[in-house]
Amino acid sequence: MCGLNGLFAYQPAASPPARAELLATRDHMRARGPDGFGEWWSEDRRCALGHRRLAIIDLSDRASQPMVSEEDASVVVFNGEIYNFPTLRADLERRGRRFRTNSDTEVLLHLYAVHGCEMVHHLRGMFAFAIWDVARRGLFLARDLYGIKPLYTANDGWTFRFASQVKALLEGGGVSRAPEPAGVVGFHLFGSVPEPFTLYRDIRCLPAGHTQWIDAAGPREPRRYAGIADILAGGAKASLSSVEAEDTVRTAIFDSVRAHLLADVEVGLFLSSGIDSGALLGLMRDAGQSDICAITLSYDEYGGTLEDEAPLAAKLALKYGARHVIRRVTRQEFREDLPRILDAMDQPSIDGVNSWFVAKAGREAGLKVALSGVGGDELLGGYPSFRDLPRWTAWLGLFVVPGLGMALRKLAKTLAPGLGVRAPKALGLAEYGGTYPGAYLLRRGLFLPFELADQLDPDLFAEGMRRLKPLKQFAGEITPDPGSVFGRVSALESAHYLKNQLLRDADWTGMAHSLEVRTPLVDVQLLSAVAPAVSRLSGSVGKHILANAPSEPLPTEVVERPKTGFGVPLWEWVQVDADAARPNKGTVSRSWAVELWKRNCAAPIGASAL
Amino acid sequence: MRARAHVLALVTEAFGGGGGIAQYNRDFLRALSTLPAVGQIDVLPRLAKDAPSDMPERVAQYAPCRNKVAYAMRALLLALPRRPDIVFCGHLFMAPLGVLIARLARAKLVVQTHGIEVWDRPSASQRSAVEAAELILSVSRDTRGRVLTWASNPPERCVVLPNTVGDEFTPGDGSRTRDKLGLGSQKVLLSVSRLDARQRYKGQDRVIPLIRALRDRGHDVVYLIGGSGDDQPRLEQLAQANGVLEWVRFLGDVPDGELVDLYRAADVYLMPSSGEGFGIVFLEAMACGVPAIGLALGGANDALCDGELGGAARPEDLLGSIVAQLSAPRPEPEDLVSRVRSRFGRIAFESRVARVMETCL
Repeated sequence: MCGLNGLFAYQPAASPPARAELLATRDHMRARGPDGFGEWWSEDRRCALGHRRLAIIDLSDRASQPMVSEEDASVVVFNGEIYNFPTLRADLERRGRRFRTNSDTEVLLHLYAVHGCEMVHHLRGMFAFAIWDVARRGLFLARDLYGIKPLYTANDGWTFRFASQVKALLEGGGVSRAPEPAGVVGFHLFGSVPEPFTLYRDIRCLPAGHTQWIDAAGPREPRRYAGIADILAGGAKASLSSVEAEDTVRTAIFDSVRAHLLADVEVGLFLSSGIDSGALLGLMRDAGQSDICAITLSYDEYGGTLEDEAPLAAKLALKYGARHVIRRVTRQEFREDLPRILDAMDQPSIDGVNSWFVAKAGREAGLKVALSGVGGDELLGGYPSFRDLPRWTAWLGLFVVPGLGMALRKLAKTLAPGLGVRAPKALGLAEYGGTYPGAYLLRRGLFLPFELADQLDPDLFAEGMRRLKPLKQFAGEITPDPGSVFGRVSALESAHYLKNQLLRDADWTGMAHSLEVRTPLVDVQLLSAVAPAVSRLSGSVGKHILANAPSEPLPTEVVERPKTGFGVPLWEWVQVDADAARPNKGTVSRSWAVELWKRNCAAPIGASAL
Repeated sequence: MRARAHVLALVTEAFGGGGGIAQYNRDFLRALSTLPAVGQIDVLPRLAKDAPSDMPERVAQYAPCRNKVAYAMRALLLALPRRPDIVFCGHLFMAPLGVLIARLARAKLVVQTHGIEVWDRPSASQRSAVEAAELILSVSRDTRGRVLTWASNPPERCVVLPNTVGDEFTPGDGSRTRDKLGLGSQKVLLSVSRLDARQRYKGQDRVIPLIRALRDRGHDVVYLIGGSGDDQPRLEQLAQANGVLEWVRFLGDVPDGELVDLYRAADVYLMPSSGEGFGIVFLEAMACGVPAIGLALGGANDALCDGELGGAARPEDLLGSIVAQLSAPRPEPEDLVSRVRSRFGRIAFESRVARVMETCL
């Protein structure tokens, strides 16, 4: 993990990039890469690349970035890890390529020399990188299938800029802060800003699974090279028996964990009391890692309740022989850290507080890399959405008549005025529940569109919805049809919640503590292997396979523990009245979103708030 | 698409027209006609004050048609049998007609945006037409940004194609004009634009109140205002009210043939406009070796290259910028001209047209 940035003054009228801007953007990302930094300029000084390094593979200075190819044909800045780089390197060496380092970064340069822009099809890992092609005088940008690593771009029509963080681009001083209504509305709809939008009109995210080419004609539209729905749809054509499916999934998960242990530093683990991280621990042990540092958070507020992760996590650590660190987090610490949390939060997100503290604890324990079980619920059906969406669409599909759902909502609001306050989503059931995109909006929506219409500035809301097109975006995430009910929900959860919320949170919280978060359950090879089996994973089958994946399966009490989520006692921490009753999770999230917006976002973009 | 694309250009003015937009259209169409991938270009203007002249090869301009309905009918009649591959729409106001023709002819739509017409959200039909465009060309970063505020096109399809400056604008001896105007050794501040009451943002009324202060600081300045229009009486009254009428001279319309000499006669070109889409006059003046000052607002930033080619002043610092320019040694014209030409000269413009049109051809 690292921070990268660059400027390319592609338009002849533009002035060459200013070094001060390059360095201001780069060094705003100091925490992403405390181990080294570098800059590179093209001969005519029209293109500049910057990099901050967190050294994980090949810790020597030879592997510093920006890295120039041996023939001076290309230059790369890279954030992420290429887990299959030893295989790629061996293949490239057979083709006569000579290596100077033991880093995965150098593989990118050679791979580009051999395959050009098609190189992305060979990569397994999390990555965001930019390669300057000296001969073609162009920049090639790419981002992994899931978008584990971020890459933001800004094009003002003269100069193209990119960086690993939105705030870093703004720090450079050359990018407009004009608000993007789709980003503002997107945050209020979902609690995170959905890509490709940001809060700013002129800053976009290079979408996950896309590449982009920029040359003297300016940036071309991002090109999709891989999609989650494509892989699931491809897999759906195969037909596996239950036994074959279980064997395939188990083998693929182990393979992914093993691949994610590739590092020249210690790799630890974020351990909760759930199946996902517990299975990772068992599989790390199976993969041969003998000394494992596992980090678990504990909160006094959860003491003695089901939400307390520590007791069961301790049993898991004991079972698999991990060095267990239970890190107690208090309301006092949360309040002290909050300004830093808000500062590090690159784009607003209602989650991430838990990730902040576990990353902090990981760094305190001396870790530079930790595995996280994020992604298991999306891949193996751990969310209620896998149960709810098929049910809702089957029943409410009857109401998919234009205008009927909206009329029923208005009628319900009139007949039962309190319903909109007590259970606002119930009002939207008929309007949204009948289709997968609508039902998913209903399931994941923080606020629903008809609520925001009353709460946000009307012009901002209308413009934001027009640009965001959430239902169209969701429909795109399940095109081509993943081929099964399970596959549809998995694609939606992976391409939206996982991508826009969980992975973003993992990145900014990890990077704020100079700690790389690796996600073995979010992996292109794993998805490709599991895709033919997804129709066999309904119910709790997927999670049971995961629980049984280690050679020593997870204990029954972990497998049968009710799902609680990887939460924090946010309500207890932010509310003033210590005796106030704790409302449901949805209400807490809404209150936190409003608070977050007021504290951190409304002023910088000058947009009206809730 | 044919081997060589057939282009229909719907424009307000082009060949034989006056003003910045007509000049831009001529420059663009001329550059477009040189591309090997382009065959015939049919130009249908709304206006043409003079007979078209100096027409490039492969470009045919039809008679102007002021009436909107008749114009639309003629455009349809022209387009349908010929089935253009590209419909170039030279102004936002024509975009709804452009998209209709593009759809009927299954052509790609290219919409040109200039400046102030895109500042406010346009009508629903104009917005919808722009959003259907294959490519949006904007003269400046500011114009592009404003378009993207209300249009949801992919940002990569909204491209900046800045104005260029004609080869006739070169440095030279301005003494003949100075003698004709009896300027002696006075320092000449110059503005050239229409004096249109609807375009008061041009900023002559920001300069006039500064004349007294400049003279009080020992600068023997005279302010020449080229151009005519219904705003002139207001500006004259302003000069009168500030007691500087003696040093503010209204020159009326400046014939094209005299414009270069007028620039050469100036010491500083001034246009503190708050509403420029780009400001081609800055380029013209600087190409004649005359330092220029504008405001760091809107599209003027592009012509002035954020202060690298000309002064880009904050409104409150305008006086200071003028004083600084008058007090400094006059820059070497060759250096200024070379920098202007490398960024905005014909070669740079033609190369840029070729690149941005790649996606459509």
